[in-house]
Amino acid sequence: MSDVATKSRTTLWTRYTSSSPVVVTLYALILGLAFGALVIIVTTPAVLDAWRGLFDSWGAFPHALNATFNYVGAGYRAMFTGSVVDPQGFWHSLTTGKGWPNTLTPLSETLTYASPLVIVSIGVGIAFQTGLFNIGANGQAVIGGIAGTAFGSMLHMPTALHLPLTLLAGIAGGMLCGALPGILKAYTGAHEVIVTLMFNYVTYAFLLFCVLSTPLQQPGQSNDISRTMDPSAILAPLFGTKSGLRVSYGIFVSAAVVLFAWWLLNRSSLGFDFRVTGANPSAAKASGINARKVVVVSFLVSGGLAGLAGVVQVASTTHYIDGNFLIGNAGIGFTAITVALLGRNKPMGIVWASLLFAALGVGGRNMQATTGIPLDLATVIQSAIVLFVATPVLVKEIFHLRNVDTVGLNLATTGWGT
Amino acid sequence: MRLELRRITKRFGALTANDQISLIVEPGQIHSLLGENGAGKSTLMNVLFGLLRQDEGEILINDVVTSIADSGEAVRHGLGMVHQHFMLVPVFTVTENVVLGFEPTKSLDRVDYTKATEDIRRLSRQFNLEVDPNAIIENLPVGIQQRVEIIKALSHDAELLILDEPTAVLTPQEIDALMEVMRSLAAAGKSILFITHKLKEVKAVADVITVIRHGRVVGTAEPTASESELASLMVGREVNLTVEKSPYEPGDEVLEIRDLVVLDDRGLIAVNGVSLDVRAGEVLALAGVQGNGQTEFVEALVGMRSVLSGTITLHGRDITHLTPRKKLDAGIGHIPEDRQRDGLVLTMSVADNLVLNTPRRAPFASRGTRNLAAVNENAEHLVKDFDVRTSSIQSPTSALSGGNQQKVIVARELSRSLEFLVASQPTRGLDVGSIEYVHSQIIEHRNHGNGSLIVSSELDEVLALGDRIAVMFEGQICGIVDPSTSRESIGLLMAGHALEVSDV
Amino acid sequence: MSLLDSSTKPGVTMAKNRRTRVIAVLMAFVGFFTLFVFGLGSGARSHAGLTFDPVNLANAPVQLGSVTMPVRWTDVIVGLIIIAASAEVFIRQPRRGVMARFGGVAILFLVALLLWAVRNPGPSFVSSVNITSILVASSATVMVLVFGALSGVMCERSGVVNIAIEGQFIGGAFLGSMIASTTHNFFYAAFGGVLIGGLIGLVLAFFSLRYRSDQIIVGVVLVTMLGGLSSYLNLQVLTPFPNFNTGNLAANLPLPGLSKIPILGPVLFNQSGFFYAMIILVGVVSFALFKTRYGLHVRAVGEHPHAAASVGIDVIRVRYINVVLGGAIAGLGGVAFMATQGQFQVGYTSGYGYIALAALIFGRWRPSGAVVACIIFGLSVYLSYDLSTYQVPVSGYILAMFPYLITIAVVAGLIGRVRPPAADGQPYQRD
Repeated sequence: MSDVATKSRTTLWTRYTSSSPVVVTLYALILGLAFGALVIIVTTPAVLDAWRGLFDSWGAFPHALNATFNYVGAGYRAMFTGSVVDPQGFWHSLTTGKGWPNTLTPLSETLTYASPLVIVSIGVGIAFQTGLFNIGANGQAVIGGIAGTAFGSMLHMPTALHLPLTLLAGIAGGMLCGALPGILKAYTGAHEVIVTLMFNYVTYAFLLFCVLSTPLQQPGQSNDISRTMDPSAILAPLFGTKSGLRVSYGIFVSAAVVLFAWWLLNRSSLGFDFRVTGANPSAAKASGINARKVVVVSFLVSGGLAGLAGVVQVASTTHYIDGNFLIGNAGIGFTAITVALLGRNKPMGIVWASLLFAALGVGGRNMQATTGIPLDLATVIQSAIVLFVATPVLVKEIFHLRNVDTVGLNLATTGWGT
Repeated sequence: MRLELRRITKRFGALTANDQISLIVEPGQIHSLLGENGAGKSTLMNVLFGLLRQDEGEILINDVVTSIADSGEAVRHGLGMVHQHFMLVPVFTVTENVVLGFEPTKSLDRVDYTKATEDIRRLSRQFNLEVDPNAIIENLPVGIQQRVEIIKALSHDAELLILDEPTAVLTPQEIDALMEVMRSLAAAGKSILFITHKLKEVKAVADVITVIRHGRVVGTAEPTASESELASLMVGREVNLTVEKSPYEPGDEVLEIRDLVVLDDRGLIAVNGVSLDVRAGEVLALAGVQGNGQTEFVEALVGMRSVLSGTITLHGRDITHLTPRKKLDAGIGHIPEDRQRDGLVLTMSVADNLVLNTPRRAPFASRGTRNLAAVNENAEHLVKDFDVRTSSIQSPTSALSGGNQQKVIVARELSRSLEFLVASQPTRGLDVGSIEYVHSQIIEHRNHGNGSLIVSSELDEVLALGDRIAVMFEGQICGIVDPSTSRESIGLLMAGHALEVSDV
Repeated sequence: MSLLDSSTKPGVTMAKNRRTRVIAVLMAFVGFFTLFVFGLGSGARSHAGLTFDPVNLANAPVQLGSVTMPVRWTDVIVGLIIIAASAEVFIRQPRRGVMARFGGVAILFLVALLLWAVRNPGPSFVSSVNITSILVASSATVMVLVFGALSGVMCERSGVVNIAIEGQFIGGAFLGSMIASTTHNFFYAAFGGVLIGGLIGLVLAFFSLRYRSDQIIVGVVLVTMLGGLSSYLNLQVLTPFPNFNTGNLAANLPLPGLSKIPILGPVLFNQSGFFYAMIILVGVVSFALFKTRYGLHVRAVGEHPHAAASVGIDVIRVRYINVVLGGAIAGLGGVAFMATQGQFQVGYTSGYGYIALAALIFGRWRPSGAVVACIIFGLSVYLSYDLSTYQVPVSGYILAMFPYLITIAVVAGLIGRVRPPAADGQPYQRD
């Protein structure tokens, strides 16, 4: 029993932390956007100058606010119209019945972006539920993308065979990648965070190697571009290529993954083993669960899903990969971590979180194109949202746990120990 | 010092942990605070030691009202605490632990270890508490570690020493030695507040006894009061200190252990060639002070720790190296020592915890898919049969009290058809009602003709439950006796003395 | 009787350790590789030169000239030594010093690799290796890693895992570059790096200590955010205003006399102020942690926070201080790195923050051990670039994987054999 509870700072904060997760997420979204706005203000000379005018006279205040709203507003408006819908365009299509493809493009883009994101985030979420940190999801997605692209572009067969096998190739690639940290953790207790982080860098180098030094490279090109996948291996757009809407059959793959994850975690015995191991590895061992098997299988599932996401990403958008595939902090493997956290590691929560973050990403692209504000702001906003959300709610959810001796509570969250 | 607690009250929401508690400790007095688990002793000590703030009431030190904001202040006022779970850093030396927070320093904020060591040696001599200042804590036996705790308190110029359940980890002989220390400290003018739930110790050393129950002082007593009087005060009703047992009629051998050798986490030998037999219809109680290999022994039995050499045979079948899964399937039941760490998943529901061992067994699952209806039905039955107090079978087990959590584990284990039950410290931290319940369940299991091994460091429990008593010391069985053996003899065994023929 | 003497508990035999065997097998693999690929795979007459004269420091009082080594036999012998060492580990299963042997094997392997890469006749146009040059060139990386490892020591010794070191590098490099470009003063830049690193540490501490969030998650999220921020700011600020990011190489400050010592002189005594600061910092942190009262408190908090609290130590405050200081050190490391590269580029700290953590583990959470590990890792990072210029018949991309694979091997081999501070990573709650 502690006195911490009675020392809460302000009632505002208490109300915030005791609200339901959905409300908290909403608040966090607003706070995240506010933080993003702050970043924009501080880094845009035009707006800064307007605020500097305040030093000269207070009368400059409305002007400063105006400039702020204009600039930030333009940015966020572009974000919204780029990811959800442009209200004017919508009205136009509604009244004239024309121009639907244009109106629906933002949504289509968001869905296209969200589709692989859901898959990889569910993979990360399953690992989290097992108490494992799969920080290497990005690298696993890269390998999956490479495997899928190779299979889809260098082998030729009819669609009915080619597409499923290409997806399978991606899963296999991701699984192979995921096996390494899984086996290391299960048999040597190596902490998967450093192993997977390091492995990400290995995969980036491997990617460059593949698209520059192997037969995967586009023949006749000296750039870091791979071959293009056969039409028989891609996930075709739902509404055909002429509509310009990119949303593809990939969303069915995503839906299947969501159903699979729900069944795995809530109805299957394996999922039960995962959850017990994640919640209390000691009790898991005492009640007969084979910890090694669980760790390895969980990583295989997580890696396989990441790999699937990689190949879905390629097959539903560009149909080839280049040296920048999923590079850096914007790679879906890293976004997946924040998405999984936001979605509380549960399949449906992850779906909503993916849609939100996909919207931010896609909207960010439009924001960059329209107002010049760099796309990376979306990443910043996403991280801020997670920080604002993860903390109070996580604390509330795990408050029961923290009253108990935390030794051995989680495989990964107690530092480097096993 | 003269310590007075005046109407100390502490509430946690709806629960009143301390309710108008008043007591006085005079200088040079050994004052015992007697109460069962959950009575509010720990809360009171936390208030006294500055870890909690009382809601009402005052603390008076030498007749001056004092407010204690944190442990540092408590120490500065002359209070010293020897905690139940030692507050010693395992990888530090004795010196480093003793001076922590009160270090003598040289230039540049350097710690003056020479002076520190001198001070420790001085205190050692003065109070007859020998320790090696350069020894590393985790290499020291528990009794010595406790000595370090006491020296630490004394080095802070404590005038009043609070000893919180100090004897849980000591052999009877070490307990006697501790009592000698207490008496000599009292003779030197220190006051001692001795917290315990053990009646015999209280009668042996206390000058005054204050009994608390459910957060209130229910009476003071003299050490001349009888044990059953004290127990009744502690619990509030006539306490049946023994359990009904049917006559001892052992059957065939169920479990046979031969020359078992098991290593601990650091690669040292914890179980050093143990051989035991347990028969059907028998409870074999394994007595011994904690830390003599019992934990590793049980872990090896249930498959959580690998066996270096030796055999474990169940009904003639060699199960030595089987995984926990296979041991469970072979019919071994396990009530673990640390129920919250090894026995339950606190975030999961009561229903899930009740099938934690057998989630894949029909009817709870088939072909990889769980059958939640069957799981819930099972939970309804067990909660009723075993009187588990919970608002719903879907509540997380973290919401249950310690006693009810243990009931969940007992229900889970005893509702399976077991070949053999292993229970380790089955009533640790439980209130008397739960203790009675668990004991009755174990005896019933035994009365039905099943075999079980109960490991306990509580001598009373061992004597109450065991048909035969094996004593473990430093990884070996140093004697197997029957329950009519004197406590002194068993105590000697627990301390490693082999029994002479005349001792029994 | 035994009650009165405080002798230690009895303990005799050791366990055969599967992990030790795995390390031994790994070492054997390395040894065989060296023997067959480097040793026997080189021509009988191939030789390589080892020179020790620093490239840019003429008139050293003692010219060591160069040594010519027969590659085949040297590498064969080195390979055999490695195999012998692996056999010793496998059979004898020593309790201590296994990773030290592994480190030694790593160094021998690197030497053998170098000789093989520059052997003559061979594909490479370079036929000699300048040891001193290599050491000097890799010292930049080593320096950054040491800053990161020191940051890790400060944080983890008090019980908080700092995954955000990478982010603190980025922040320090970015801000440092801006300040150095505008003020041309590296002191101000250093100050800025310290400030931003400390600020990031403060955020990490806030979420980890006040809200008891999982420290690893907060760290990863922070790194992601900072990576995004740095990309954003790079496009928004540095690109349109290049005067915020001009080339700023910190000048070297050679220590007179000392810098002319053969082989190691230029490496240790002809460096920038940041390098010297790093060395001083290693000493200061070691002293503070193990000799002072402050250090005792820190270590107590990291091992057994409740014990520390019971004697009146404010656990949360100690952790706040250490995490902020650790962050400041990492931020300084970021500036230092920028000072060796000249300007800020997105992503050029490429995982060094995580390698620093591996070095910390290798060094058993002691600054001295971590420094040794940083040297090994730093060398391997540098060599992976250097080797690609020697036209070694292995793709440069594969070589680039090398340091990360080594880190993985080290981490995999070490965890479980070493004991982190007992409370590392665990949120503290008064009860």
